[in-house]
Order: sequence, then structure tokens, then C-alpha cells
Amino acid sequence: MGSYIARRVLQSVIVIFGVTLLSFLTLHLAGDPTYLYVSERASTEEIAETRRRLGFDQPLPAQYAKFITGLVQGDLGMSLRSRKPALDLVLERLPATLELTFFAMVISTVIAIPIGITAAVRRGTATDGGVMLLAMLGQSMPGFWLGIMLILFVGLQLRLLPISGHVPVLDPMLEGNWSEGIANIPRAITYLIMPGITIGLFSLSRNARLVRSAMLEVLSQDYVTTARSKGLAERNVVIRHAFRNALIPVVTMLGLEFGFLLSGVVVTETVFSWPGVGRLVTNAITQRDIPVVQAAVVMFSVLFVSLNLLVDLIYAQLDPRIRLR
Amino acid sequence: MARSRYMILLVVALALAVVPAFAQMPDEETLIIGQSVDVGALDPASVNSRAEANIFFHVFSTLFEIGDDGALRPYLATEYSISEDGKEWTFTLNEGLTCHDGEALTAEDVAYSFERAADPANAFTGNTAGFALPAIGYQGMRVDNDLQVTVLTDRYQTPNLKLALISEVYIHCKDYYASVSLEEAAQNPVGSGPYRFVEWVPDDHILLEAVEGYTLRPTNFQTQIWRVIPEASTRVAELIAGNVDVIANVPPDQIEAVNASGVAEVQAVAGTRRIYVGFQFGENFADAPGYDALQKTEVRVALQYAVDVPTICATLLGTECERASSMVNPPNNNPNLEPYPYDPAKAEELLDAAGYPRGADGVRFETVLMGPRGRYLNDANVVQAIGQYLTDIGVNTTVDIRDWADYRQLISPKEVGPLFFLGTGGGTWEALYDMADLSGPTAGTNYTNWNNQEWFDLWNSLADIRDVEQERAVVNQMLEVFYNDPPWLLLYFQPDFYGVSNRLDWQSRRDEWIVIYNATLK
Repeated sequence: MGSYIARRVLQSVIVIFGVTLLSFLTLHLAGDPTYLYVSERASTEEIAETRRRLGFDQPLPAQYAKFITGLVQGDLGMSLRSRKPALDLVLERLPATLELTFFAMVISTVIAIPIGITAAVRRGTATDGGVMLLAMLGQSMPGFWLGIMLILFVGLQLRLLPISGHVPVLDPMLEGNWSEGIANIPRAITYLIMPGITIGLFSLSRNARLVRSAMLEVLSQDYVTTARSKGLAERNVVIRHAFRNALIPVVTMLGLEFGFLLSGVVVTETVFSWPGVGRLVTNAITQRDIPVVQAAVVMFSVLFVSLNLLVDLIYAQLDPRIRLR
Repeated sequence: MARSRYMILLVVALALAVVPAFAQMPDEETLIIGQSVDVGALDPASVNSRAEANIFFHVFSTLFEIGDDGALRPYLATEYSISEDGKEWTFTLNEGLTCHDGEALTAEDVAYSFERAADPANAFTGNTAGFALPAIGYQGMRVDNDLQVTVLTDRYQTPNLKLALISEVYIHCKDYYASVSLEEAAQNPVGSGPYRFVEWVPDDHILLEAVEGYTLRPTNFQTQIWRVIPEASTRVAELIAGNVDVIANVPPDQIEAVNASGVAEVQAVAGTRRIYVGFQFGENFADAPGYDALQKTEVRVALQYAVDVPTICATLLGTECERASSMVNPPNNNPNLEPYPYDPAKAEELLDAAGYPRGADGVRFETVLMGPRGRYLNDANVVQAIGQYLTDIGVNTTVDIRDWADYRQLISPKEVGPLFFLGTGGGTWEALYDMADLSGPTAGTNYTNWNNQEWFDLWNSLADIRDVEQERAVVNQMLEVFYNDPPWLLLYFQPDFYGVSNRLDWQSRRDEWIVIYNATLK
């Protein structure tokens, strides 16, 4: 088990470095970012001085080596735009993004499971057909379009939910102000619903289909037939015998789910004016604020890789055959 | 039983949803403005976008203020005098000025505001250090007494131009800014304007509060909230829902929806930003398609007739607009110059005469038009339309559109061409401000590398002219040179659309500034 963990951790580190290298090269492919940090009317000398000060006069390998050295020491550099440590900027925005991602995750799992079970239990009925049709629609709708539609219909026409903005919950809690964080929860939920649906609908639909197919497979197993023949109530057969076993592939998906939902926040945060890491990254890319983009990439990679590592380790613990491969 | 439990849950959820939705509408003491971008930092010397300047202008004051009509009005200073050689400008301050922390604002603070922005050790790249101070030939400051301070420069400039540039420097108090690090100053501004800074939630909002007893400018609302709403459709929805009072950059296709809402209306103004297609003269483009043809004045004049600018405005920008006749904003342009009309037959005739007849395939020559996406109003579509107009007269044009961040990196090093679409900010107060883009053959903003000897000789002659009428005559002459040997394919002054709540009495300006301290409830 120890060597398995060491191997997986090493792989994770390589993945994180690979991601930082790719993002670094991509950002520099588009040209010299110096011009975004000088006035339109700046002189040649001023541009050269700014380039030197920002370190863009160094060869790319030297710039990347400097970044990696800083990364190892926990220093991801200063934002070129706001003169603040890049990592601090990302960490400041992370709570808002985590609130949104976890809310979307709740939507995509808590609602998907009963829907998937219902569709499987009522296989071939109008309910099953209707659920699968909706699931297909949910997977087909682009998040950007769905967000705008929700704003126009639910926010503007029905006036049921706030159109955009954010009420913080984790931020005050992290500052030790638990009462404010808890008091904010009801309002925060109203702000979370539309962006949460926008991000989570695709996953909800996919998970519902996944639960359905997993349930169908399990429901045809001999032990389910045996349970039924013993006279157990159908509800007990479905929940206690079939669903527990059908849950394994769904649990496996959850690790990947978080990363998928994180990638969705970039667009959704812009549509709903949500002050999270997605917006920060979008702006940083536009302004070629390379330290901030790199810090966000590192943060997202670490989160994603760590969660997957955790899932792998749990899986290995549950199924010894995995460690031996 | 189970059903009633679900019903209760549903009612609670709806109640939770509905109450805050209505609670966020602004009250009578609060003004909410929606902009598309956030500030990068809160240091007055770091301001480098209009969205930032709009907020800073309410927190910080300036020596003079550029009015919506282009007139320069006293603000912190009551008057100024100019030395005989025009290089020293002495300002007299109002008495009893203070900053928001209570510190007295004197001539020493004004001097410090300039010196801090200009100090290379601070490495500011904002508008003050990067443009305003170099443009006046800033040399230093002199404190004459508590109420008088002199700006020292290395050159004479026409008074309106220099005064407007000096009026772009935000004034603050020395004690606070000298006592904190640059990082801290960038988070906690202490200003001198009608509103004090209260809170900045990055990418969400900035909260300002009226300064009690401020007499230099009105503070008709107790609170200003500058919200960041990047998506245009969301901004419009917030306006129509009554949650925001003013928004900038209403997309043309949503103007009708706003006007039909009964809640808000769109104010369309002819902005001061000059939109043009540049002809690239730089030799690094010598091998680019169409480069040789575009060096000929006759060809560049012919192309002026090929583009139907009024139709572009009406169909793609959602408003009527008059075609520009020069690089200078009205009313400072040369009144004798008429905009080139749309006349494709004449364009073809001129191209024939210039030695570029249509070939067997109908093509006169090939070229490339570069343009940005996401910077100017409907820019990518306008570029596509221009490309098609040029192709229609036989100039087979390939359109190359890049995202703004990528495009921006090509502009300053002048790596755009042989044709490139661009907009450049202008002013209403002085023709020479608009003409400063072409202050020299190698000037940073002479993106075309245009090198018309007559233009630059006349530009240099302005340094010796002190008479306003004589200066005006030279300006008109220069604009004729520009018109007859155009380095730009002249297009339009970009229209700007502001969504304004019906509860508000406020007039938007031409120069992209949102100056809103004077807004009142109807």
C-alpha cells in the first residue's frame, strides 16, 4: 500500500508541474505581455523599462525556472495588476467558488439519485421516458445560454430570484464570524440557485442516467431476485440491496465531478457576476497577469489531483486488486 | 401528510427566494452603477482604464475639472497663472481643504501627488505616470506657499491642452500616502473628493459614502455602489429589474428592450473615441499583401469612398452617426472638410487611375485587414463589414480577427497591418489633444508609421506659436494634409450607450466618463 501511495503522489506532482508548464507556454505564445502594462502612449524606453521590471526580458526557460523555484518555496509571485501576492488573490476568491461548486455538486448528486432510481424502477414507462428526455436536454444545453435564460425568465420575468451577485457564507466563517456566516445562509442560497443550476444541470443529467443504468444492471442480479422471493418489500429491495451496489460507479464519478464543476465556474461566474476564482482567472488571462493565472492553475490542479488521489486511495482500500496493478 | 410537508418546504423556499430579490433595489439615498470591469488596484497613480477613472474621480479631486462640454472648470484650484515662457504653471488652491482622514490639503500635498506618481522608484504605469506627466514634459513641482504650487515643465503647450492633462492628476494628502507601503495604499485609498472609500469586494462592488460638508461638488446621494457586472445581458437585466441605476455599454441589440421596459431608457451619445482603419507604412510589412498599393496616396483616398459608414452605424451599432472628416472630434475639427461620401463607383474609378484595374478574376490586389474582438462596440462585425466593402470594389480583403488581449500586444510594437482596425480615445477640449497621436514619425501612438513631412513640419512649428488664431489656422492646415494624404481610413466616433433608470435625472457625457455626483432623483 505504501509504495502504491508513493507512486500515485509522484504521478500527481508530475501532473501539476505539467499543467503549470503548459499554461505558462500558452500564455506566452500570444506575444509580449509588457504592452498590457504600459499606457497606450508610452515611449520605447518606458516599454523597455517595464519589460525589465516585470521580468519579461528574460528568456522563457529562465522565467519558468524562477516560477518553479518560487512555487517550491510557496511563493507564486505578485500580481502584475494589483501588486498583491498572486496566491493570496486566488485564496481570497476560493471560498466563493467553493460555495458555488459544492452547491452545484449537491444539485447534481442529491437530485440525480432519486431521479435515476425512479427511472430504473419504472423502466419502459412514460416516467422513465420523460426523465431520460429531460436528462438528454440537460446535457445538451450550453451553460452560458442556460444562465442567460434563467436570468431573463426566473430573475427578470418572475422576479423569484436575484439576477446576479453573491452573499458570502464561508468568508465570514473563515474570519471567525460564524454567526454572520450562518445568518447569511438563507440569502446566500437564493443567490446560489441559478448559477448552481447552470453549472450543475449537465452533471445532474449525466448522473441521473448513470444511476439509472447502474440500477438496471443491479436490479437484474440474482441476489435481487432472491431478496424479492424472500418477500421483502420492493422499497427495501431497491434501497437496501440494489442501490447500495449501484452506488459504486456513482461514488467513483464524484471525484471527477468536482473538477468538472470547477471548470464550469469560469463562464458561470461571469454571467452571474460571481466574485470567484473563475472571474479572477478570466480577467487575469485577458490582462496577461501571468502570476495570477499560474497561481489559479496550481490551485485548481492541486485541488483536482488531490481529490482524485483521495478517491484512488479509498478505492484501493476497498478493492485490493487495484493496488496490485 | 408527506404531501403537506413538501408543500411547506416549497413555500419556505419561495419565501426565501422572493424576499431578498426585492430587497436589493436601491433606496432614495443610494445610487448603484454597473460597470463591466473591476478596478485593478485603488492607488490613484495606477488608474489606467476609464472604468477605474470613473470611480476614482468621485474619491479624489483634481486641480481643474474637465466639464461635459469640454470646458475646464476650477476645482481644488481657484485659478492659475502661466509664466512667460509657458513652462511654469502656478495654481492657487481653495482655503480650508482637507483629505478624508482630516489632514489639511495644502500646496505641499498637491506637489507630493505629482511627485509620487512620477517617482520611477514607484514604477507606476497608470495614466498619470504613463501619459499625462510625460505629455506635459513634467520636470518637477515647486511649493510657493501653503496655497500656491507650481508645475514645472520643459515646454510651451497650448494652454487648454496642458491644463486638461494636469487636470488628470488625482490629488491626495502626503502624510497618509508617505506613511504606508504601495501595497497598502493600493487597498485603502484616502481621497480628497466628494465621496470617501468604504469597501472594496473585488469583482463584486466598491462602496463609497458622501463626505459630510464637502462643498466643492454636490453629493446628492449618500451612498454610491459601483457594481461589477461583466456580462452585458446581465447588466441590462439588472437595469430593467430596477436593481441598478446606470449601466455602461448597453449592447445595440438590447436598446429596444431597455426603452420598452418603462423602467429605464438608453442614452446614446456620439463618443470621442475615434474609430478608424489604419494603413500600415512600416517597412516590416513590405512583403505583406497590398502593402505597395497602400503606400500610394491615390489608393488610400480611393478606399475612403468604398465603405458605407452610415449604414454600418445604423445596422451594426444601432444608431445614426456621422462619418468622421478628420482625426479630431467636433467641434474642434476643421469645418471646411466634408466627410468622404460612400461612392463605390468613384472608388473603382480612382483605383483604375492609380494603376490598379480589376484583373480577369475581378481582383485589383489582395490585402489583409486585422481587427480586434471584444474591445470596441461590435468590433468584429464592423471589421467583417469593412472587409466585404473593400472586397466589393476589387480589393480582395482577408479579415484577421484576434481577441483583444492578443491584438493589444501587437498594436504598441506596430505589428498590425497592412490594414488594421483601431479606436483611440479623444477629447472635447482641444484639437491638439486628438492630434497628439501623430506627434512624430516614431511616436508610440503613430501606429501606422505615417511620415508625411508637411504634417510633421507644421506640428513642430506649433511650438513657436503663441497666438490662438494662428495656431488654429495651422491646425486646420494640418487636418487638410491628413485628409488629402490619409494614414487612416476614416470611420466614425464611437457611439456610447448608457442605460439610465427613469428615477434618475442624469446626462451621460461624450468622453466615456461617468461623472455622477450631480445626479438627482426626478
